Amino acid sequence: MAEKLYIEALREGLREEMLRDSSVFLIGEDIGVYGGAFGVTKGLVQEFGEKRVIDTPISETAITGIGVGAALCGMRPVVEIMFSDFTTLAMEQLVNQGAKIRYMFGGKAKVPMVLRTPMGSGTGAAAQHSQSFPAVFAHFPGLKVVMPSTPYDVKGLIKAAIRDDNPVVFFEHKLLYRVKGEVPEGDYVLPLGKADIKRKGNDVTIIAGSIMVIKALEAAKELEKEGIDVEIIDPVTIKPLDMETIVKSVKKTGRVLIVEDDPKSFGWGAEVAAGIVESEAFDYLDAPVKRLAGRDIPIPYNPNLERHAVPQIEDILKGVKQILR
Amino acid sequence: MAFEVKMPKLGTTMTEGTIIRWIKKEGERVEKGEPLLEIQTDKVNLEEECPESGILKKIVYLEGQVVEVGKTIAIITKEGEEYNDVGKPEEIMEKKQEVTGEIRGNTEEKKNAESETEKVKASPAAKRLARENNIDIKDVNPTGPDGRIVEKDVINYINKTKVTPVAKKIAEEKGIDLSTITKQEGMRITKEDVLSKINENLTLEENIKRIPLSGPRKIIAEKMKKSKIEAPHFYLTLSVDMTNAIKLKEELSVKIEKLTGVKLSLNDIIIKSAARALKEYPMLNSSIENEFIIVKEDINIGLAVALEEGLVVPVIRNADKKGLSEISKESSELIIKARSGKLLPDDYQGGTFTISNLGMFGIEEFKAVINLPESAILAVGKIVKTPVVDENDELKVKPIMKLTLSCDHRIIDGALGAKFLNRIKELLENPVEMLL
Repeated sequence: MAEKLYIEALREGLREEMLRDSSVFLIGEDIGVYGGAFGVTKGLVQEFGEKRVIDTPISETAITGIGVGAALCGMRPVVEIMFSDFTTLAMEQLVNQGAKIRYMFGGKAKVPMVLRTPMGSGTGAAAQHSQSFPAVFAHFPGLKVVMPSTPYDVKGLIKAAIRDDNPVVFFEHKLLYRVKGEVPEGDYVLPLGKADIKRKGNDVTIIAGSIMVIKALEAAKELEKEGIDVEIIDPVTIKPLDMETIVKSVKKTGRVLIVEDDPKSFGWGAEVAAGIVESEAFDYLDAPVKRLAGRDIPIPYNPNLERHAVPQIEDILKGVKQILR
Repeated sequence: MAFEVKMPKLGTTMTEGTIIRWIKKEGERVEKGEPLLEIQTDKVNLEEECPESGILKKIVYLEGQVVEVGKTIAIITKEGEEYNDVGKPEEIMEKKQEVTGEIRGNTEEKKNAESETEKVKASPAAKRLARENNIDIKDVNPTGPDGRIVEKDVINYINKTKVTPVAKKIAEEKGIDLSTITKQEGMRITKEDVLSKINENLTLEENIKRIPLSGPRKIIAEKMKKSKIEAPHFYLTLSVDMTNAIKLKEELSVKIEKLTGVKLSLNDIIIKSAARALKEYPMLNSSIENEFIIVKEDINIGLAVALEEGLVVPVIRNADKKGLSEISKESSELIIKARSGKLLPDDYQGGTFTISNLGMFGIEEFKAVINLPESAILAVGKIVKTPVVDENDELKVKPIMKLTLSCDHRIIDGALGAKFLNRIKELLENPVEMLL
């Protein structure tokens, strides 16, 4: 199987869907000739033309509004918001309209739209360009929230998101774009709402999302040398959240570490933790559920401080050892 | 909180037990499941398992003392726990009740505080495992952070002692292979496991049939057990020369048959003689009820009749006032009713004395169990032709019948029983006297 970058797999997924379905089009700032702020859409305008890869002025409200409207009219728009921080500008369009329309029209109208957006810190982009919002959108009824962590997942899931008849918010961590992994050729679709066991183990379950999956896998390699056998669950889609897979793993290991990229307070990790305690897995817990997450601060510009704002591999190592005491 | 070890109830009828031996000493560390003491009941000696782990703080009753079931016999505390010995446990209990009566709110608060301190820091997994294995989580040594009991600690606890000492002992005695008892990984084999294995083995035996103890059989079982437990039996036996009784039977039989249509039996003559003797010795016609000896005026003789499903005892009322023909008629009717299952409660209730005759089954002599609340029962054997030396020192063959009287020694002493039995003998040997 060919090894590809996350960004290449994502582009491949978008391209295949555009080839497959003529109602799929891309819209966003600088996504045409420039290929997007991170180059995801590079080359697509040349292949599909300006009608299907639409460059827009700086207006997240307008871009998202067009997306919602086009979706209502039968198109399958893929909206790109340059940094996930800017989705706040599109809240009205996405949350107050896009997410509710299907319900308010009694199912007669649907919004098959994908809102793609890079998230997260680690690139020195400072507070206004570095936040992670999956939990924010997961809180709103009517939206699906996906945050793929591997090249394989991102291709299969962007296809699933495009083919879904509901608005899907698709979070791509900026640091993942350069991560390499095996990606099969051709068409494959991964289900939304299904967690993935990224590593099998018996001693402790790490539930990590997005970039934290990569960090957790690194940490697991280190821990293996010390005889600690880690299982890593990637929820992949946090709305809907696949608690079944998580509960099954926790029942096996009895110990849980949740690692997330966004601030700890009211994050999706809290939702997972609560779900575990509510479930039959409670009786199998042998230590309190531990959460590692970002600090409750705006992401600093200073690279050293920025590093400390979110969990790193050494934090995961420490966290696992703490709950295994 | 201090744990009170109570005198166990080791059988349905056990009301008290004697402490034979304390296996553990005061101040010693005890483990749940270890043998703690030896108890003697009215039937057996038993080693009793320690119900709780901790320190055997106080032995309340000493060896040799008889203790009522349910009374506190020892106190077990947790290691390092203070125990205020403020007197006998009964006194403690009384004080406790007083307090609850007076200031209810306060004690409730206290209770809450107690359960608060009793709470154990343990992971849900440890608690679940402990629960599944019937382990008191308090007994487990914590090794987790901040003194938390974790799953591993419970597993260690279970692995430490896989078989309780008592279980081991019973298994050895009964020849039970402990490896045949399957328990969940790490679980301890307890006394109950071994006992249920013994039961299981019984059911595995071929050629046995299990009949539930129910209906008349159950009532008989309970009544007979009660009688043997409550009434101290003693037995008197003598031989009766039945020559004259047989003669009387032959003489009257035809006449009575003409009169009643029923043949006179020797049993009827025995009933009549017993009724007559009872009139003369009313203490044999009595019972114990609520600390009183009740002497009954009416002489109602019960006749034990063997049926397939058990024993029934129809009653001939006022047998002393009835003539032989009447007794003969009544007894034959009652026997027919009994065999056809048509006895009414009135037919078998209110007996004051019972006669059981196994002569027809070839039994020469036997001891019957008293039919409570009656105070005695007469067991009648078969008439056997026996060589007897008469008053002229001559050897003669005589029809001899053995009578055995079972007496409740609470009411009847040996001499009284003997006089009564001798009177029956006199009457049977000189049946004409019955006419007086």
